[in-house]
Amino acid sequence: MTLEFINAEKRIHDSLIFPSFNLTVNKGQVVAVYSSVNVREQLIHLLLGKSSLSHGEIRLDGSFKQTNCPGFFFLHHSLYERLSVLEMLRFTKKLHHSEVSIDDMLRLAQLDAKRAIRIKQLSFSEQKRVQFACLLIQNPSIFVLEEPDQNMDLESKRIYLSILQHLSADEKVIFILTGNLESAVTSADTVFRLDANGLQSIQMKTEDERDEASDPIGMVESTQPVRFEKIPTKVNDKIVLFNPPEIDYIESNEGQTFLHIKGESFPCVFTLTELEERLLPFGFFRCHRSYIVNLQKVREVVTWTRNSYSLVLEDLSKSTIPLSKSKMVELKEMLGLK
Amino acid sequence: MTFSWKRINAIFMKDYKDFSRNLAVSMVIFLPPILAAFIGRMGAASIESYYMIINMAFGMVASYVQSCLIAEEKEKNTLRGLMLSPATTTEILTGKTLLSFVLTIVTILLSIVLAGYNPANIAIIAVAIILSTFFYLGLGTLLGLYAKSVMEASVLVLPVMIIFSFGTMIIALVEQYPILKAATYLPNIQLLEIAAKVEAGIGFGDIWLHLAIIAAWAVASFATAVVIYRKRMVD
Repeated sequence: MTLEFINAEKRIHDSLIFPSFNLTVNKGQVVAVYSSVNVREQLIHLLLGKSSLSHGEIRLDGSFKQTNCPGFFFLHHSLYERLSVLEMLRFTKKLHHSEVSIDDMLRLAQLDAKRAIRIKQLSFSEQKRVQFACLLIQNPSIFVLEEPDQNMDLESKRIYLSILQHLSADEKVIFILTGNLESAVTSADTVFRLDANGLQSIQMKTEDERDEASDPIGMVESTQPVRFEKIPTKVNDKIVLFNPPEIDYIESNEGQTFLHIKGESFPCVFTLTELEERLLPFGFFRCHRSYIVNLQKVREVVTWTRNSYSLVLEDLSKSTIPLSKSKMVELKEMLGLK
Repeated sequence: MTFSWKRINAIFMKDYKDFSRNLAVSMVIFLPPILAAFIGRMGAASIESYYMIINMAFGMVASYVQSCLIAEEKEKNTLRGLMLSPATTTEILTGKTLLSFVLTIVTILLSIVLAGYNPANIAIIAVAIILSTFFYLGLGTLLGLYAKSVMEASVLVLPVMIIFSFGTMIIALVEQYPILKAATYLPNIQLLEIAAKVEAGIGFGDIWLHLAIIAAWAVASFATAVVIYRKRMVD
């Protein structure tokens, strides 16, 4: 069983939601698509068969799409609040004529102790786990998960990740749609970003690969003048690599540096001085003792008083970054002003 | 299209459990029997008063419960889950209707016993009541599809309850305002006429027309419900 997008493109009234892309999710694979809410909703509608693509097609297992085939995990759960966990699962099992054992699924979602409790009385994260258990009982071959771990507590997140592992070992196709890069990176093997610029892969390395790779990199740096261009950041146990032009600005807070990319921040192992040295060729500028800014992204230089200045970036949140007085002089020189 | 009793049973059992724990809605099924007990004890009960209770049971149980069951599925977002499941529209609606049907019949039986109503020909009355139940269930489904929440459903069902339980009194005004003659074709008044004829000892031959009118109402209400369901559920 595979899930395939072939030249899929969606437009709504002249505005491009996403340009055509190809993506295949094979069985046993966990793929996350990191996108805005609009794109996510459109993808869900497409998969539900409520709307159709402007170009291209979606194929399940090589054939044209049939609805009811994938199992959906929606952001808003649909549970009968007055039923107990066990009754809810039994109902789902009968409704879907499923052969899956309820007890196994209760154990997998770690709801054993809660089986007799009414769903209304459970916490939000527990309700999400019941929703997951229901989906497991349906036992579809394709799982489409919408923001699966949003607002979940740590315990449930851990359970959710272990369920994902179990499903991937079970040769299921797992397709995660999320607007949270951290969630995408922690749960999936392969992460893509989908927006009006198309589908881009976000490169990642897992911890053990990094261990092998980190030493050679250290050697490279000491022996060869060739520099590794990408900037690594750490998200849980994975390393995510960013292209310098993607970075909006870098901030240092209590000795830890953070890369700010599209409104999200990622901790980085390097110090500001190291990063400044590395990023200088890419048009980055140390505008303050604890900030480095990507000059390509600066829209305005605001003068508050004679001695205080700020830079306004052109990202979505219009971030403002302090600019120190001494650096203002330097910046003016760079810009060719006096 | 496979028709699976197992799924219908699953939906029925789920709705039964859900309904029995939802006191706000399940309370209404006690009202008609209590009222019936009062009328029965007061004595001097007429056939009109029995049928006011029965019609009230139709409005309160068949229409109200049915519309709440459907509106709640919509409100709580659970209808989507049902529709994405392998259960077909027929199975979903049958499972839900089955519960309201059973509840209505039980409530009416209880009310009849408590009120001390003893029809001359039980078979004809039973057929008439079952046919009417289908009409009110269809009406309830329709209201449930229109309402977006249980709250809205309980407001929408009020006119239905009033028209069909107290509307029987319209007969008294027909002499004065001939235009109200059209109202005598309403299923609640037809039911009353059947009951009156049964008491007068008239046989099945004269009653089938009334039964046919009620059946036509039932078919019409279900047909509209199915059309609305298709329309509403596409988007």
